[in-house]
Amino acid sequence: MVIDVTQTTAGQLKTLGRFRQINDTFPRTEQIREHKNQGKKVFGWLCTYVPEEIIHAAGILPVRVTGYSQEMELEDGNAYLYINNCSFSRSCLQMGLRGEYEFLDGMVAGSTCDGARRLFDLWQHYIKTPFYHILTVPRKYTEKAHGLYYQQVVQFKEHLEEFLSQKIADEQLRHSIEVYNQARVLLKQLYELRKADTPPISGAETMEVLNTSFHMPKETFNQWLKELLDELGKSSNRHQGRARLMVVGSVMNNPEFIKSIEAQRGLVVTDELCTSTRYWSDPVVLAEGQSPVKAISRRYLSNFPCARMVPSDERFRRILNLVKEFKVDGVVSQIIRYCVPYAHDLPLLRDRLKDIGVPMLALDVEYGTSGSGQIQTRVQAFLEMLEARKR
Amino acid sequence: MKVPDTKGNKINAIIRACRIITRMNQANPDTPKSEALYYQMLSSYYTRLRNAHDEGGFIAAHTVFFPSEILYAMDIVPMHTEMTTWMMALFLGEQAEILSAGAELGLVPEICSPHRGLAGAFALGALPRPDAMLWSNLICDNTAKSGELIMELTKCPGFFLDHPFQRSEAEDKYLVSELEDMIDFLEEKSGQKMDWDKLSEIVQKMDHQMELLREIGELRKAVPSPFPNRGFLQLLTVDYLCPGQPEAIAYLETLRDELAEKVREGKGAVSPERFRLMTLFVPPMYLMGFLEKIGQEYGAVSVVEPLFTRWAEGKLDPSRPLESVARKTAMIPERRSMYGPLSQEVLQDLIDCAEQYKVDGAVYWAFMGCRHTCATVKLFKDLLNEVDVPVMTIDCDIVDPTINSEAEIREKMEQFFEMLEDR
Repeated sequence: MVIDVTQTTAGQLKTLGRFRQINDTFPRTEQIREHKNQGKKVFGWLCTYVPEEIIHAAGILPVRVTGYSQEMELEDGNAYLYINNCSFSRSCLQMGLRGEYEFLDGMVAGSTCDGARRLFDLWQHYIKTPFYHILTVPRKYTEKAHGLYYQQVVQFKEHLEEFLSQKIADEQLRHSIEVYNQARVLLKQLYELRKADTPPISGAETMEVLNTSFHMPKETFNQWLKELLDELGKSSNRHQGRARLMVVGSVMNNPEFIKSIEAQRGLVVTDELCTSTRYWSDPVVLAEGQSPVKAISRRYLSNFPCARMVPSDERFRRILNLVKEFKVDGVVSQIIRYCVPYAHDLPLLRDRLKDIGVPMLALDVEYGTSGSGQIQTRVQAFLEMLEARKR
Repeated sequence: MKVPDTKGNKINAIIRACRIITRMNQANPDTPKSEALYYQMLSSYYTRLRNAHDEGGFIAAHTVFFPSEILYAMDIVPMHTEMTTWMMALFLGEQAEILSAGAELGLVPEICSPHRGLAGAFALGALPRPDAMLWSNLICDNTAKSGELIMELTKCPGFFLDHPFQRSEAEDKYLVSELEDMIDFLEEKSGQKMDWDKLSEIVQKMDHQMELLREIGELRKAVPSPFPNRGFLQLLTVDYLCPGQPEAIAYLETLRDELAEKVREGKGAVSPERFRLMTLFVPPMYLMGFLEKIGQEYGAVSVVEPLFTRWAEGKLDPSRPLESVARKTAMIPERRSMYGPLSQEVLQDLIDCAEQYKVDGAVYWAFMGCRHTCATVKLFKDLLNEVDVPVMTIDCDIVDPTINSEAEIREKMEQFFEMLEDR
């Protein structure tokens, strides 16, 4: 059955509803409550350069700290982080200040961007979480940079061991690598389905799945995702739209934004976001006899890069590859105001896309936006332009 | 992206402006000798830059807080990109043109204006075409991200210096290895060799320069404080443009002696001195004259700028020049307070400053393009309020005069002075 992308299949796909329930209740989800009730710890992490496997191997539930799932008044965030820090960091801080993350036993960040590092500084000063750690994350991919980052990951592991008064064994790390790699493989399978001319799952539905991936125990997530993939394999549902789109830019985990694009029949088939492709794309490659910490640190620094990394060519190369693989007609760049790394890359990326004949729509947004109002008008005009090019 | 021929660049105009100021100063017998030396230093820096290509020199453009000691030791001509954009704003009043050129490149207003401006200046051909672009993540995402667009605009090679976020033995070693790689890159591109003896000499002078800056900081503790409001920018410029250079030492030694004499004589920069202020971040460049004027009117003087003029204690070792260059970057005031985790030591230093300098109030210039410093506005305010120092925050842009009017800032400052008076 070919259905328009404006229609959701959630009603028909049993497992998708479970993912949605997590998103609706985060951060006060049943899974987190259960984990805490068992006397176990929950750590918050910021940015995809924090190696989750280290936290997981210590028996701690790693939960990504995200902000409100909708555009909100950020009175506390504005007061503490000032209005010129990105609305993602202000939104996260406000949730922290208002006790939404009071269950956290630790907070781990990387020196990834100014917004993240200052969010960490203020979290440490104003929100009392028992454990804090920030990793120096080099901005290069050189062997020396890998060497430094490896030492940072070792230091983080040792700090965590000291806090817990227990060692994290290599065996535990190997197990965590397996669990996380399985999630990466499954998410890749989900994305492979989206390469089809009429994919069985929409962009907004995919975002709902992704959003739960860093907010719940990975083992359960993997099980649910397997079941969803089974269902999708059997489903006859196929989505179609006016044009195939890719979303790039700042952190974004609100399915409503994608939904607003798809409501106008722009089919989002892939993305380059730290909440999506950049989160799962590269596995940890553990060679025979290799130290698991070394394998983890290498993966995190050489993963699909954020705009913070230098040179930017690697990020651009991967974006252009995705454009080809997913037969993308147009790219929607959504950059949160004051998200400077992505803003600086914008003219360079636009030129590279232009060289391969792919237009880009550049949107300035606030974190949590549902994509209403002016954004809708601009998306509409962009889709019309893409349609005209096809004729 | 294409840029026009750079023959018509604005460097000549900066040199002319410096010379005019120097002549005006010479005509006024009351002008301190240090003032003349400062403008000679600027003029000489920009003359060297202007003549570089004609004399077969190699120009390396670099972002702020970059270890240009290495460039001087290699006889490479440095071009401080942000400072040069500021100078254009300050002397030529051409902010609108360069900011608009930055916008045409696709740089959004949320990007810090000196970085939008410098990209715009390169796009307009207002700056000489560099032979290499050097940039680093010290001190923010803007510095980390500004190099690649300039490389593309000017079709020059570049080197990104990755500056570790925290300090440890491993991170210090990483920075030194980054400096080594940069030297290799520069030697290859310029064909000029590193002169290690010269670098050692520069390091020795830089050590003296830091000592002079600390001495000046100590002299400013005097009541009344001898250093004028307009001097803040000059103290920054010295290190930004001429680290370890003889002209910088000459200026600072003269300034120190002048300030020491004023302290001995009990003369203040304003008379009578009524309000001793702490300046947080940087006031708009184009308002330095206004701040001097309002300071004189109200007896208000900036006595300390913890984020910019408070140098860390410590010595450099000329026998280990590269390690010393790396060590110096950790000692600059901006690095201590604006890069790396916000440590208890940094926060305590802010409180110590307020006490040691007998501060009556603080003005936080909340530059909207500088996200990581504005993130400290509330925290610093909370800390200073605990030691009974009121803080006034003024939203501003350091180069773009369309954000605030002088009248608006005057009104805010007058209200603040009234409040301080009532206390």
